[in-house]
Amino acid sequence: MKKYLEIAKAYMKAQLIWRSDTLVDVILAVAKILFAWILWSILFEGKEQIAGLGFQAMISYYIISSYLFQLEKSAEISRQMTGMLRNGTFSKYMVIPVQTQGYFVAMEAGKIAFSAGIGFLATFLWFYLFRIPFVHTANIKILLCGSIMVVLGLLFMALLNYFLGILTLKFEEISIFLMIKDNLSAFVTGAVIPLALLPEWMTAGMKFLPFYYVTYLPSMLFIGKCEEEAVTGLIVLSVWCMVFLVLNQVTYEHDRIKYDGAGI
Amino acid sequence: MKHNLKFISELIKFRLSHIMTFRLGFFAPFFINTSYFLVQLFAFEAIYGHVDSIRGWGHGEILIFIGTFSLIDALNMTICFFGVISLPDKIQTGELDLYLTKPVNPLLRITFEKVDPGAIPLLIFSACIALYGVRESGVNLSYANIIGYLFLVLLMTILYYDMELLIRCFAFFVFSVDNLMKIENTAVDLCLKIPGIAFYGIYKFVFYCVLPYGIIATLPTQAVTGVLSAKGFLFGVAIVCIFTFFALSFWTYGVHRYESASS
Repeated sequence: MKKYLEIAKAYMKAQLIWRSDTLVDVILAVAKILFAWILWSILFEGKEQIAGLGFQAMISYYIISSYLFQLEKSAEISRQMTGMLRNGTFSKYMVIPVQTQGYFVAMEAGKIAFSAGIGFLATFLWFYLFRIPFVHTANIKILLCGSIMVVLGLLFMALLNYFLGILTLKFEEISIFLMIKDNLSAFVTGAVIPLALLPEWMTAGMKFLPFYYVTYLPSMLFIGKCEEEAVTGLIVLSVWCMVFLVLNQVTYEHDRIKYDGAGI
Repeated sequence: MKHNLKFISELIKFRLSHIMTFRLGFFAPFFINTSYFLVQLFAFEAIYGHVDSIRGWGHGEILIFIGTFSLIDALNMTICFFGVISLPDKIQTGELDLYLTKPVNPLLRITFEKVDPGAIPLLIFSACIALYGVRESGVNLSYANIIGYLFLVLLMTILYYDMELLIRCFAFFVFSVDNLMKIENTAVDLCLKIPGIAFYGIYKFVFYCVLPYGIIATLPTQAVTGVLSAKGFLFGVAIVCIFTFFALSFWTYGVHRYESASS
């Protein structure tokens, strides 16, 4: 465990080198919130509620979901892995005395730990500067459930991207799948629009998938909505994480022999 | 002019024979862009399904808007996107030397050397969305509206190209343009969700004059629905001229400053 902690610390420190990247990420998150503000202030003209959410709840949702979406940087795992597997530099992860899956999860944790703090400060500043009445739950249990769900959601996305990265061993060229995945994931996690706006049959189907619990449900829990789904959400997401932990291990052990260290 | 056209047709021939080698890669832009615009379409349907109109635009106008944005993006993807996005790499690695030392316009070659027919199905798909929007909005199409729409689509495709080029030309002066490209992607993504008519005050200034993604699909939509004023039309033409001038001047200035790899 100590080894993984050291990896996470190393990557957290490395983030300090890319300060301008962090700053741009924060600016872009703010830009998204600004757009949400413009769009929804027009759509709410003459309306009290849309899909069960008032204007302030909607903006609070966007602020939280933008923050969570900005935290989630695991797409880099699959891109990095596919690049290294193809050009033959993945060997360095195979020879160090840590599990590759653990290494990449720890790397992701380190990066998140850094941007989480910066993003939180920016979000707080945003609320303060624009005097937005933040709609939130006061229920400690729900806050705790939401926080655990955020952690599990980030873990799941890291595991999913690690899995996609391993697929390079099998399919060699996966960049098209990664781009399609990037296009779809923002939508199905609820970062583009609250999933409550979709037809009921669609959201009912999405509840079986893990993406529903990555950004959408935690954001809704934090603004005091969908509280009855909190426990179910934790269970479903935990099951998905366990499935991918095992799947990744099995796939890696099975396919790693195809890697010859000279690139594909 | 004749020489350039012949050169472009040769580039296209080379490109076609090259991409035929990688068949999955041939349709990659189609799959990627289709997934992107289906997501946008779903998002639009979800958002605008809860409201009757936005600043006078009904469901039909919104469909024309998203179809037009998709059409312009597909045109860009087919003609010049893959060429222009490779510019920062060429500058960083010094590969641009090979372009500057050849007896043809380097920008012309970069622009047309990676034509990609894989996005053509998306052009058809986008046109269908726009046509469905026209039917939905109940607009009576006149020849003037259609010609105005097609002309503005062409102009806005040039504007889209200008913006792509301007942003990537910063690679002549800075080590990485990744963050600028992030800003570009976010601006395109956001302007795709909000029609330009929704902007006001400082936002209108920014997305009409500074990062003019706000007018890209808005002006053609207004033209086809017959609500675009002569002033609006002239504004569109002026913006395209100004940005084309900036993009070409910035490119020329960048090339003068370029000192091969590691410059």
